[in-house]
Amino acid sequence: MPMTVFGRAKWFVRAVAALAALVPCAARADFHIRSPDEIDEDEWEFEHNGSASFDRNPLNNGETSYTLEIGRGVTSWWHPELELDIGRNAGPDQPTQIQGVTWENTFQLTEPGEYWLDLGLYWEYSQSTQQETPNGTLFGVLMQKDWGPTTHTLNLFLDKDIGPNQDDMHGFDFSYAWQSRWNVNRYASPAVEIYGDAGQINRLPRFADQQLLIGPVLLGSVPTGTSGQLKYELGWLFGATAATPQGTLRWRLEWETHF
Amino acid sequence: MEHFLSTLRLLAIPAAFLLFTASAGADDVMHLTIKDHRFQPERLEVPAGVKFKLLVKNEDSTPEEFESFELNREKVVPPGQEIPVFLGPLDKGEYPFFGDFHQDTAKGVLIAK
Repeated sequence: MPMTVFGRAKWFVRAVAALAALVPCAARADFHIRSPDEIDEDEWEFEHNGSASFDRNPLNNGETSYTLEIGRGVTSWWHPELELDIGRNAGPDQPTQIQGVTWENTFQLTEPGEYWLDLGLYWEYSQSTQQETPNGTLFGVLMQKDWGPTTHTLNLFLDKDIGPNQDDMHGFDFSYAWQSRWNVNRYASPAVEIYGDAGQINRLPRFADQQLLIGPVLLGSVPTGTSGQLKYELGWLFGATAATPQGTLRWRLEWETHF
Repeated sequence: MEHFLSTLRLLAIPAAFLLFTASAGADDVMHLTIKDHRFQPERLEVPAGVKFKLLVKNEDSTPEEFESFELNREKVVPPGQEIPVFLGPLDKGEYPFFGDFHQDTAKGVLIAK
């Protein structure tokens, strides 16, 4: 019997709460809008995400992030991915190095278009590969709504450092992401994206000290043979607060296919 | 743990409210069949301006994926099974779709009137 919406949600909450209690990370939010509808059963995905930040202040300049991911739609409602995280912290003389491995999970709760809003849940665990850097876990709610020729997606996240190097005084951090996309055609469609990191949820800093990025993105896909497609995203995000780098280039390449 | 669960509940409340204040109301049901890696019919008239449910039945022995960028839908149809695709309300016009696993043969168009 197919699992109901509430059944999937209850399963998710219990599983994540149990795992969070067992595992003792700076879970890093990718510049990646997550859709609750991206569950393609039996499809494989090979993905690369990247970002590079620029700022006049040398201490805030040069942060980069690269990920290599492999994922698969295991069921019609669960999509896990395994990700290798490579990156460079902002500032001079910082090395580019492997920073960790992340296990991502997207859970679809509702059929696309069945209700007023499409709903999904997200959970990831990050294992740091760097000394004295904590591991991390991140939970999220994914929402999406089609409106005529546009699609609007909202992600709300809570993340926490865990493991032996965590700061015991630091609670959950709140972050969010938004995308409004105009579905012009499959090869190239424009969108606007917002990424924000508000900080510790019970001790929010003033707005100027929070991270906020806004900017245009171009998305599309091209077929690869008779089965599968290559998807791309390319965008420039402007820093909207003093705490945010002035500009961030982000990109994504994904090949999805069926064997 | 208590703080985490209460925070999670806070996030769940608005999502649940938005989700269940308006259901699909998809009274119209349309049918599409996949056979020999082709959609039947390849051109299907559907109502414009209302929500409707498209039932896609796969009569082949291998899976197919109903996909359409214009409709923003991508859903695998297992062999021998039928899946619902909730659509609309659509403006009048044509909305192409294809089978991602057999793109050279599985193609079609929904015509919203």
